[in-house]
Amino acid sequence: MKRTAFMLVLLGVVVVVPIAEAQIKHIEMRVEGMT
Amino acid sequence: MKQHLGRQSGVQKVDVNLLDGKVDVTPADDGRIDPIQLLKATYDSGVSTAELGMTARGKIVKDSSGDLALQVEPNQAYTLEPNEQSKQLESLAGAETMVTVRGQLYKKPVGKKKPEPPHQLKLLVLEVQKE
Repeated sequence: MKRTAFMLVLLGVVVVVPIAEAQIKHIEMRVEGMT
Repeated sequence: MKQHLGRQSGVQKVDVNLLDGKVDVTPADDGRIDPIQLLKATYDSGVSTAELGMTARGKIVKDSSGDLALQVEPNQAYTLEPNEQSKQLESLAGAETMVTVRGQLYKKPVGKKKPEPPHQLKLLVLEVQKE
C-alpha cells in the first residue's frame, strides 16, 4: 500500500514538475503611436 | 495602455517607456499570460504594436502539422518559424527536456499603419539560452 502511494507521488512529481516549470518568463513589446 | 495591459490575465507588472515605446510585461508566477490578448489590449488602447518578443521556458514538441513547437503550458504551444536556431532544437522534440528560448512572436507587417491583431502567432527563435 505504502509502496503504491510512493509510486503515485513519484509519478506525480515526474509528470507535473516539468510542466509546472514551463512558462512565459518575460514579454517585451515595442509600440507606436503612444502619446 | 498600461492599464489595459495590466488588466489582462496573468500579468503581474507592466513598465512603459514613453521615450522609446518599449513596454516590459512581467507575467505572474502562477498565471497564464496570452500574448494575443496583449496584442488585442494594445490595439484596443489605440496604439499599434511594432514588435512583440518573449522569453519562455518549455518543451519542444511536434504540433498536429508535424512542425516544431514550444509548449509553455499543457494547452499553450507556439509553432517555431524554421531557422538555424530552431534546427538546433529539433533533436529535443518529444523529449522531456526543458529549454529556455528568447524569440520574436510578432512583427508589424510592412506598409500597414495599424493592422488588426493576429489570431495566431509563430515563434521566431533568436536565442536558445543555456541552463
